[in-house]
Amino acid sequence: MFELLIQYIREGRIKLDKSKFDNVLATYHDPCNYARKAEKLFGHGYFDEPRWILDQCMENWVDLYPAKREQFCCGGGGGTMTTGYNAERILYGKKKMDQIKAAGAKMLVVPCHSCHGQINNIKKEYEMEDLEVKYLWELVADCLKV
Amino acid sequence: MEEIQQTIEMDRLNHGRFESWPFSQDFCVTCGLCSSSCPASGIDGFDPRKLVRMVSLGLEDEVIEARWPWICTMCAKCEHVCPMEINIPGMVRSIRGLREREKVPGILHKGLDAALKTGNNLSLPKEDFIFILEDVGEEIADEPGFEGFKVPIDKEGANILTTIHNKLVNTHTDDLKHWWKIFYAAKEDWTVPSDNWEGTNWGLFTGDDAAMKTMTGRIVDNMEKLKIRNLLWPE
Ligand code: SF4
Ligand code: SF4
Repeated sequence: MFELLIQYIREGRIKLDKSKFDNVLATYHDPCNYARKAEKLFGHGYFDEPRWILDQCMENWVDLYPAKREQFCCGGGGGTMTTGYNAERILYGKKKMDQIKAAGAKMLVVPCHSCHGQINNIKKEYEMEDLEVKYLWELVADCLKV
Repeated sequence: MEEIQQTIEMDRLNHGRFESWPFSQDFCVTCGLCSSSCPASGIDGFDPRKLVRMVSLGLEDEVIEARWPWICTMCAKCEHVCPMEINIPGMVRSIRGLREREKVPGILHKGLDAALKTGNNLSLPKEDFIFILEDVGEEIADEPGFEGFKVPIDKEGANILTTIHNKLVNTHTDDLKHWWKIFYAAKEDWTVPSDNWEGTNWGLFTGDDAAMKTMTGRIVDNMEKLKIRNLLWPE
């Protein structure tokens, strides 16, 4: 997925408008499965690839703290969106939301369906309704010059 | 988890009970680093160190009945900091796998069961699936810059086969559009299978290896049937 997007951009098959989100401070969340767990399982964690893609889509974005290997889980992984243990899941997400608040971000970019669903689902619990949650490929699609 | 405060009969303990598990749970030095790193520590009294100890002591019924393994997200932060490299997420998944399938919480097993029977978690019939894809495809074709866009279904010999997350043909159909627009712009030769398109694989969450294998095998079958070499499986 990351490789494919990078290939399209590198080969010039898609052109991106970097100014589209000039006024929105974005940040990036590393999903456990693409990052920490991929590194452990397959010997390669996707830390730098998504960040490179973000650099192609916007001039300005900030990393969360901590990030990459030390990233906090969103709380929506492992099927927890579907177990029905919702109070626990929302509480779990507090660390994540505090981290996003601390970064001052107005947009969170994620390349994972579970993270996307979780953050969108819990933002109202933490008075962060204005936070825009975007798939990484959605960001790329939004920036397409067609 | 009141039971851990109760007296445990010594004959219930069995250090050998899970010795075949490859997660190194017996190497735990009870340092507590996992618990400090875990975002779920404290929720419902959960603490990964305690769970590791319970497995090590062979408290089978207690770990199977506990809610803890289902509150853990298998995020692997604990494993990342563990000095003994204990695979806590793997252990959690195996504990989940020991539950009676009917007692798996929420819709996890029901969704998986539906997927095994019908090819997708929603039991969505093929005609409805195709209708949704084509409908969304027409919406894209109406946007400036995407004239003539069409969703290639079951296209033999395409360069890329993509799976679909069931929520994108349920409540989030607009989110189908992002990848499709990128494909259009990149002039990609891609396709979606009309059967067994489900991208999620909930056996990963329920600890059901056989189900995972079936779901994955179906994707491979689709690739072979349509003679496609590349897979985009972003779920
Ligand atoms: S970090 Fe590892 S060794 Fe330390 S308590 Fe947790 S499981 Fe045991
Ligand atoms: S994998 Fe589970 S136990 Fe380990 S840090 Fe994540 S939530 Fe906690």
